[in-house]
Amino acid sequence: MGSESGGEGADPAVELDGVTKRYGDTAAVDDVTLRVREGEFFTLVGPSGCGKTTTLRLIAGFEEPTAGAIRFSGESVAGVPPEDRDVGVVFQNYALFPHMTVGENVGYGLNFADPPKGMSRSERVDELLELVDLPDAADRDPESLSGGQQQRVAMARALAPGPDLLLLDEPMSALDAQLRERLRVQVRRIQSELGITTVYVTHDQEEALAISDRIAVMRDGRPEQIAPPRTVYREPSSRFVAEFVGDNNVFAGRVVDVEGDEVGRELRIAVVDVGGETLRVGVDEGVEVTVGDHLTFCVRPEYLRIDEGESRLTATVASAEFLGETTRVTLDWGGRDLVVRTRDPLSGEVVVGFDPEDAHVIGIGEE
Amino acid sequence: MSDASPGAGEGGDAADPRRGRSLRDRLARRLRGRLLTALAVVTSAVLVAAFYYPVGTVLIEAVVVDGAPTLAVFAELLRDPFYFGEFARLFAGESPVAVARALLSPDRRLGIVGFTAYQAALSTVASVALGLPAAYLLARFEFPGRRTLRSLTIVPFVLPSIMVAVGFVATFGTNGTLNAVLAAVGLPPVDLMFTLEAIVIAHAFYNAPLVARVTTAAWESVDASAVETARSLGAGPVRAFFDVVAPQVYPAVLTGAALTFVFTFGTFPIVLALGGFQLATVEVFVYRLVRDLSYAEAAALAIVELVISLGVLLAYLRYEAKNTVSSRGVRPLPRKSLTPSAPSLREVVPRLGLAAYAVVAGLVFVAPIASMVLASVMGGDGALTLDHYRFLLDRQQTGAAFQVRPWPAIRNSLTFASAATLLALPMGVVVAVLTTRRYRGRKLVDAAAMAPLAVSGIIVGLGLLRGLVFGVEIAGWRFAATGAVAIVVAHAVAGYPFVVRTVAPGLEGLDRSLIESARALGASRARVIRDVELPLVWPGVVAGAAFAFAISIGEFTATVVLATGADAYTMPVAIERFIGRRLGPATAMGVVLLVVTGLSFVVIERLGGEHRGF
Repeated sequence: MGSESGGEGADPAVELDGVTKRYGDTAAVDDVTLRVREGEFFTLVGPSGCGKTTTLRLIAGFEEPTAGAIRFSGESVAGVPPEDRDVGVVFQNYALFPHMTVGENVGYGLNFADPPKGMSRSERVDELLELVDLPDAADRDPESLSGGQQQRVAMARALAPGPDLLLLDEPMSALDAQLRERLRVQVRRIQSELGITTVYVTHDQEEALAISDRIAVMRDGRPEQIAPPRTVYREPSSRFVAEFVGDNNVFAGRVVDVEGDEVGRELRIAVVDVGGETLRVGVDEGVEVTVGDHLTFCVRPEYLRIDEGESRLTATVASAEFLGETTRVTLDWGGRDLVVRTRDPLSGEVVVGFDPEDAHVIGIGEE
Repeated sequence: MSDASPGAGEGGDAADPRRGRSLRDRLARRLRGRLLTALAVVTSAVLVAAFYYPVGTVLIEAVVVDGAPTLAVFAELLRDPFYFGEFARLFAGESPVAVARALLSPDRRLGIVGFTAYQAALSTVASVALGLPAAYLLARFEFPGRRTLRSLTIVPFVLPSIMVAVGFVATFGTNGTLNAVLAAVGLPPVDLMFTLEAIVIAHAFYNAPLVARVTTAAWESVDASAVETARSLGAGPVRAFFDVVAPQVYPAVLTGAALTFVFTFGTFPIVLALGGFQLATVEVFVYRLVRDLSYAEAAALAIVELVISLGVLLAYLRYEAKNTVSSRGVRPLPRKSLTPSAPSLREVVPRLGLAAYAVVAGLVFVAPIASMVLASVMGGDGALTLDHYRFLLDRQQTGAAFQVRPWPAIRNSLTFASAATLLALPMGVVVAVLTTRRYRGRKLVDAAAMAPLAVSGIIVGLGLLRGLVFGVEIAGWRFAATGAVAIVVAHAVAGYPFVVRTVAPGLEGLDRSLIESARALGASRARVIRDVELPLVWPGVVAGAAFAFAISIGEFTATVVLATGADAYTMPVAIERFIGRRLGPATAMGVVLLVVTGLSFVVIERLGGEHRGF
């Protein structure tokens, strides 16, 4: 688990405390505790059915939790209906009101809140449309806009009343890949400019890594790991996180030796027997490991190098996908799949290896 | 990690709105939450006052005689062969084998109830037979006027039944257009009046378009890629039709058939005008018993009718719940041209079939209306004349007080229909909102709100007559309504289920995230109804208004009971009074009704269009 210190003593912008949401016998959200800091871009990521959207809907107030508390800046929002929570929500399908123009859509929330900074309503609408790069769209019919444009209008509409919190529910999953990449840069830029606390839901781990300050990787209704993108990528806390976020090679075996500081290295090394091959794995400080332990670790494809590294494996090429910049090659190593990335085409038998510091221990336990 | 720069942008400007306004807000929120409840209570009150209570007071007479509860009236009714034919012997305790044998013999007796079911079954078969080719044409072919034709299929359903009856007399009567045509080509005349055939054809006129509508909708929602998948897997076109298309269309056909059966089982004006008492159905007999003041027997018979109708509806609803496929046609089947692309058998035969169908459809759907218009301008000698309209004018100017005059009929019809529509609209919208929410007991609310569709109009009329017009005493206060008010209430109760039916699908199909977006932007639940839901379902509301108006203007059954002796008669009642003497003035009055109804629709459409944007 990532550290959950909650910032500099101030109340977190959003706090979920033991929140559970049950539908009948199944818990869509199961005892979730997490804190979103003021101004943070926080992402809930996970496969479908992991409870990420339900979590967002609980924060928005569309659902009430079965158990637990939700607090905004330290104050409980139990029983507060969505219209009184000062949140902006953007849905996957944008949900623009089809019977209103773009300008009327953006201005709708200003029926219930005064525009900030003493602006007039139309000034505020223009400002927001400017912000999302659609300055002349006010009089247009939402259905005449492209998907990406509709998404930006939905964003402008959510931001117009000046909410304290922005909630985005898979806002880009209906768009094509290129547009998605461009839009996420824009979303992040707008978020940073306004400094608005944002909770973002996506099933796309790559998007989550690219856009977030911190990520909660969710599975079966609870977060498996909450940490900044780099930590989640480099130091996954579980096998699930290791395999869900990016490509990974996961190994498991018995520790046959532990080499400590006496060798003169900074890192302790666990020597692990995986299918008859001894592999050398770096162990972080503070991690207890003894001979006989069952150890699970992972090595990212980019750290599995051809004819290099302290631990070497001989494998045969099973398949290759040409991705442009690199080729993703799947190797067969004694019946297990290994994934490597190379620039040059591979075939036949190859030797791949990795250094101890490039391996990350996921779990240690008695077998 | 890189923290986001928490600047003092717009996000921070809306300074702490949650804290300052909490108490006042909580009060306001509570009030807003109650608004829908209040509307629901008012709607329920109207339903209880205008429907459940009056109907209850009438139906209770079937089981309470002289203040004591009894089942004697029922027992007598069930054992009476006059009502139940051979089945009565079953209720009387005879062995099922003997009854079955009697039913199979040629001189079996069906009784009133049996005959009613029999004619309803025949009418259902005829309606399906006449409706399916139309669905095939509308769903699978492209031709100029297709959309218009599709819209027109709603017309027969809202045509006043007494007017349709007049049209059928003008077409199939002894001196009708059919016999005129037959005589012209040298064939002997046929007499279809007061026969079962005439009733069945008139029922098909009403219900075949309904079958066609629901079937077309289902057929159009079949996804072409499903058929293409079947074809690519090796199924021929016929096999693909039966394996992929038919299973998706079949439930819709059954829907149409079930509704047709229920409607024709409770039929009244058609049978009264085309069948007379010698071909009486249950509803006609209820009317007769009421006229003879045999209230207990009438109530018992009405309950039997209600049980059968509800039984069919419930059986159907169960089936529907099990078989509804919620597939949305991503890509509908491509429509074919009406001109064959090749002189092959497969291309030509279906189109020839449709051509033959067009002739039959023309005879059934167009001839009655055309004949009515024609008969209204034709004298006894076959020459064109305006005599019948002149008769109406004369009657207006010189008619005695007890005689039916045209202008009051028109004025009453328009007033009642407008008032009934204004009452039915909010009721229907509230019930639609209530029945599209998810909560326990929703089905029950749905059923209770839809019950007016299944209950005999005669009983509703009688209940209102005795409950509202003659007055009720509640806690020392006497409440009495005029006949006119009772008619408006009865019409609103008859019409609002149609408002529910036109508004509910729009509400159901509304994207939930539209409502949630509006709420997240600060709109209360009630405000969302006003700003988002109503504007988006507005076409459905306008259609519902048109329905309610049409139902009211054509309503005959309850009106004829309530208008007795009063001067609250409407156009359909006027037609019925005229038709008893001479056809001419009745057809002229029918044309007036047709024109007034048509003009009203245009007005409703215009009004609805203006309000659409709010």
